Amino acid sequence: MYKEKDISIDFLGIHLDSPFVLSASPSTDEMEMAYNGLKEGWAGVILKTTSIKENVVNLKNPMMSSFGSMSEKVVGLGNIDLISKYHINDIEERVRYLKKEFPNKIIAASIMGAKKEDWQSLVLRLKKAGADLIECSFSCPQGSMGEEAGKMLAQSIEATEKVTTWVKEAADKIPILIKITPQVTDIVEVARAVKRGGADGITASNTIPSLLGIDINTFEPYPSLFGESSYSGLSGSAIKPITLRTIAEIAKNVDIVISGNGGAFTWEDAVEFMALGASNVQFCTLPMHYGFRTIRDLKSGLAHYLEDMGFDSPLDIMGKSLGKIKTNEELPELYVRSEIDTEKCIGCGLCYVACSDGGHMAIQWESEKRKPSVDEDKCTGCSMCMQVCPVDAIKMREKLDDSIHYFIEKR
Amino acid sequence: MEETGKPLGRVEALLEAERCLYCFDAPCEKVCPANVPIPEFIHSIKTNNLQGAREIIEVAHPLIETCGRLCPEESFCQSVCARVKIDSPIKIRELHRYVTDNTEPSRNLIIPVRNKGRVAIVGGGPAGLSCARELGRLGFETVIFEKKELGGIPMQQVSNVRFPEKIGKREVRFINDNFVTEVKDKKVQSVKDIGNGFDAIFIATGLQGELDLDVKGTNLKGIYNASELLKLARASIKTPVGRRVGVIGGGNVAVEVATVLKQENSERDVELVYRRSLKELKAFKDEIDEAVNVGVTMQFLAIPVEIKGIDSVTGIVVRRSRLSKPDASGRRNFEEIPDSDFFIPFDTIVIAIGQKLADYFPEIEKTERGLIKVDDNLMTSTKGVFAGGDIVRGASTIVESVADGKKAASSISNFSNGGENV
Repeated sequence: MYKEKDISIDFLGIHLDSPFVLSASPSTDEMEMAYNGLKEGWAGVILKTTSIKENVVNLKNPMMSSFGSMSEKVVGLGNIDLISKYHINDIEERVRYLKKEFPNKIIAASIMGAKKEDWQSLVLRLKKAGADLIECSFSCPQGSMGEEAGKMLAQSIEATEKVTTWVKEAADKIPILIKITPQVTDIVEVARAVKRGGADGITASNTIPSLLGIDINTFEPYPSLFGESSYSGLSGSAIKPITLRTIAEIAKNVDIVISGNGGAFTWEDAVEFMALGASNVQFCTLPMHYGFRTIRDLKSGLAHYLEDMGFDSPLDIMGKSLGKIKTNEELPELYVRSEIDTEKCIGCGLCYVACSDGGHMAIQWESEKRKPSVDEDKCTGCSMCMQVCPVDAIKMREKLDDSIHYFIEKR
Repeated sequence: MEETGKPLGRVEALLEAERCLYCFDAPCEKVCPANVPIPEFIHSIKTNNLQGAREIIEVAHPLIETCGRLCPEESFCQSVCARVKIDSPIKIRELHRYVTDNTEPSRNLIIPVRNKGRVAIVGGGPAGLSCARELGRLGFETVIFEKKELGGIPMQQVSNVRFPEKIGKREVRFINDNFVTEVKDKKVQSVKDIGNGFDAIFIATGLQGELDLDVKGTNLKGIYNASELLKLARASIKTPVGRRVGVIGGGNVAVEVATVLKQENSERDVELVYRRSLKELKAFKDEIDEAVNVGVTMQFLAIPVEIKGIDSVTGIVVRRSRLSKPDASGRRNFEEIPDSDFFIPFDTIVIAIGQKLADYFPEIEKTERGLIKVDDNLMTSTKGVFAGGDIVRGASTIVESVADGKKAASSISNFSNGGENV
């Protein structure tokens, strides 16, 4: 009924009909699920991380836990999941089948090994099966295999570079993505090691080590396995700001293709990822929570956005914000004042409380009229009031020399 | 019979609590006659601190259980909720009830030594009980004079379905056990009847007796007062009314009794007969909704002219009215339409046209309407004698009586610190 906007991209020489790919996760751990996801319209799948046949995977359940409020139950999702229980012999079969069924979709697999020959044999077998791309998990929060089991591979610069070299050596022309963790001292150093190792791209990033909570009556940690638990990998909206920073730091400092992953829940989130330099965006918690059907709004939202913005391709978004990210020292010192739109204001007084007790006591409150007003002598423009306004009635008026700029944070 | 109004479950309550904006200087709290810190108790619901929520309400409001069920929130807190400007008001009363239904009175109550003085309270309804609790908290001995059961109108004239007896009794007992020194079963009609030995007096008798319908035929069989029927219904005793009942009146009690009679027997036709229209009906919205839901029909713009019958009631002649100019409060008046009489067959007539003033306390100055006159501190023309509730306001809400009880206690405490005896 409507003309479809082309939102396809070229990613590492592979055509993707949209930038939206199912990440290596429970959503891609069953053949039928991967099939359903592709059928529903996702541009590609990265099958859940597999390993050589001899590697024993003991999954512990319940593995999921989450936090949030009653109206938004899953703000952050944690798991104590491990890699797939399916080994390479199953996965290569799936790659073959899916590639045959969906020749125009990206069929990728994620791998994890211990020794050099494991990594290389996994790559070779997937290559032979026809995988379009191979992602290497260097960052499962439950730890990697090999010499330093328990520690994430991507937490060591040397190991990252060494294993990347092994993998790329075996992959030859098949693109390799290295999936890293933000849980490091210097993300840029890790990205450089990936580049030196010869990988084609970097997946930034993964779930983040966390602890989801405690039952305060029994003191059981979550998820509780007979009263005990372990650290979880955190995903979902909660980690989006961390992923944004990870992507930005890599994009600003290292010339390498980035696949954004971790915390994107909407097409708007995906646009943000791309504005910071991601070429495509992977999704995991969104389809796990609301299903593969969510691809429809991702695609439609992005298409309308591109149309409205006058962009030809999603790639036009790429890196648009990067030049605007500075160090704190580089930022200008502005004359900023809060401006309250009295037409929109509903008189809840939350800006007054926030400014009184968490700002600079610069908002005055007329109790009878239920009207806040800004004392320009006291206001420093911190914007705490804007954060708490439930109806977006506050903006920040910024003055630099003779120019005025408004900062309006939208929900 | 099952209590009406489905209480909120935990999920619903939390979702509703999350909608609350937690306004500063909150309009709901300011408009609440008892000044319940509404945003704070709702915040405590959100954090799973239900006992804390209860304490917040209980400190401000002596009749926490009663008002969690019977407060006409659309007239007070909900009418000013800031959330209205976004979507719809928070269901404050439902959240209040969620707290009281899921908690017990605090065990950490501090009952001070009663050495500040001794106060006589005439009437054990909402105003009297509230005053007693507040005075108890302030260290006063209190003696309540009450001929009937403690609790007042909520315990006598509200159906069991809307306000279960055991909940009302528990609340009254809690106040009585902890804050009241003594209850005297003695009729008090003047200050003299109270006797000596009190530092102050609080009159909270409410209105006494029911107004009679001034038409022909009120001596027939099959005519009842609303309050006697409500009393029976509360005690779960079958009422003697017939199959076609006309309820004359346009206030909360009329709507209540009509609802109760229809609930008692759904085969029975119950029709409210009222002089004005739905808009002027002086009952709370949820009570009217409830009446309509159970199947009470309403005959508006109908003035009773004469009750017909030979031995027993056979029906009523009514005259059509039309709405005329609004009065000072903006409520529209009515006028008769000539030659518009018509007959409605009924086998029972229930009169619920309001309560009248009793001519008690002759030594105390009254208003033009015959109510007790008080100053800003609720003190009457007699020094040391205070009054509040319906006897001062005319028929009003429970929460306003509660507010008067609280205010009187504080005035009495100030007065007593001045060291003057009655």
